[in-house]
Amino acid sequence: MKTVWTQKGFLIPAGALLIAILLPIFASEYALHIAVLVLLYAYLSTAWNVLGGYAGQHSLGHSLFLGIGAYTSTFLFTKIGLTPWVGMWIGALLAGLVGWFVGYLCFRYGLKGPYFALVTIAIAEAMVSLTNNINFIGGAMGLEVKWLGNSPLLMQFESKAGYYYIALVMLVIALWLVYWLSRQRFGYHLIAVRENEDAAEALGVDTLRVKIQASILSAFLTALGGTFFAQYFTYINPRNVFGEGPSIQILLFAIVGGLGTVWGPAVGALVLVPIAELARGWLGGSFAGAHLLLYGTVMVLVMLFMPKGIIGLYESIRQRLKRGSSAPEEERTPA
Amino acid sequence: MSMLTVSNLSRYFGGLAAVVDMSFTVEKGEIVGLIGPNGAGKTTVFNMLSGFIPPTSGEIIYQGRRMNGLKPHQICELGVTRTFQVVQPFPDMTVLENTMIGAYVRHPNTTDAKRKALETLERVDLDAKADKLGRDLTLLELKRLEIGKALASEPDLLLLDEAAAGLKDTEIEDILTLIRQLNREGMTLLIVEHLMKVIMNLSHRIIVLDFGKMIAEGTPQEISQHPAVLEAYLGKDE
Repeated sequence: MKTVWTQKGFLIPAGALLIAILLPIFASEYALHIAVLVLLYAYLSTAWNVLGGYAGQHSLGHSLFLGIGAYTSTFLFTKIGLTPWVGMWIGALLAGLVGWFVGYLCFRYGLKGPYFALVTIAIAEAMVSLTNNINFIGGAMGLEVKWLGNSPLLMQFESKAGYYYIALVMLVIALWLVYWLSRQRFGYHLIAVRENEDAAEALGVDTLRVKIQASILSAFLTALGGTFFAQYFTYINPRNVFGEGPSIQILLFAIVGGLGTVWGPAVGALVLVPIAELARGWLGGSFAGAHLLLYGTVMVLVMLFMPKGIIGLYESIRQRLKRGSSAPEEERTPA
Repeated sequence: MSMLTVSNLSRYFGGLAAVVDMSFTVEKGEIVGLIGPNGAGKTTVFNMLSGFIPPTSGEIIYQGRRMNGLKPHQICELGVTRTFQVVQPFPDMTVLENTMIGAYVRHPNTTDAKRKALETLERVDLDAKADKLGRDLTLLELKRLEIGKALASEPDLLLLDEAAAGLKDTEIEDILTLIRQLNREGMTLLIVEHLMKVIMNLSHRIIVLDFGKMIAEGTPQEISQHPAVLEAYLGKDE
């Protein structure tokens, strides 16, 4: 029997994984830093994609879950010394609960499209204000993850390679999960809900439940990334985790890479994060803001020429090649 | 006991009476036609039977179970599946995946659902198009897919809303054959149709609606000579 690993479609991911595993051997610390960002954003975007891409419910406030993950584990670590390895699951469960609540609140009352998006923005913004004013979690000053020396048990590493491998494992698991789900009833139900909710409902799909489940799963995964975010940057404040910045970035990678595809968000992050980081490195000092201009230009070009993202473009080229090579065969078969 | 019993069903949209005090039954194994001029309330009846809009008053009993207040997906699970007058495909899914959504109702496992979907596609003559996207189908193919998706959910009672509208004569013939065959295999059908030829041909019994009210019920012969029906369709002889 053919396993998935021997199929041609897995050659590219398998090759990419091999390169990714070996990368820290020859990459500089700076290159590794960019690689960690790529993995982190690929992971967060993959988590967003479950709700935004597959189920088609475009959350513009996913920083809500990122922040819950980051704050929960960091708070527990700084106040009672609980290792982030445990705190991350508490944060994820909490985020899942909030994901259920937000999902229930919105979908129960039939909020769709821009209305759902607006509500998610509003809730995330409300969290910024709220956390700004809660002093025992640092208020506007935020929280610092105290450096206690190289300690894998506390998710703290001297070299970037430690963080890099954690992010890599998280991404691989998330991608595998989404790939697996996309071939289950749940995955097909998500797409059906996105494509035509009435038709899905008429064919026995509990659309409300499916959307809420997607919201919970997406929130849970995003919060795990939030803990990693806090551990890696060692500092969080309301604006940089609950703010609109991370929310927008997370979904940009999915849109540019390809909404509702397994690999889209990862590919999007792989292309955009280095552009953003390098542009900031080159232009950030001389022309403040110029890197954002360059970044914006790339975004506009992608939207114009690849409306279905990089994966969409890849698929259409592959289809065309396939059709091109099989056309003579089709002609031979009698109509 | 009847398979489906509808009693005193009404639906108002604001002040507009779309369906008024409608009562009828559908027996197991029947093909019942629901006809009426444009705007008579046929689709509103379907929307209530399938759970898409709640009745203002009245009761819908299916197999002894009250269906008022159930959601469409629950009604589908109970064995009543509808199609839509305006076809509702999943455009970015393949024909096979479209049909699998229906098949998942009785087969939660993907392998089983796929097998069931392929079987169903053969019945509606779409197996050759299994890998095409919903968005790339012709109207005829979409009409077939609409039936195929519903069939894949293995309903006991199938609600067909204008399955033949917009099709050519030969294509209509295919759909008639399919419906008769399904009925012979034990499926009960309630069909809404504009085309008299289709409804007169298929139905064991016909219910006629006009301005939301049931004006007649009977066999095709009875209906074709019923004065109220002739009046509703052709106007009153002054």
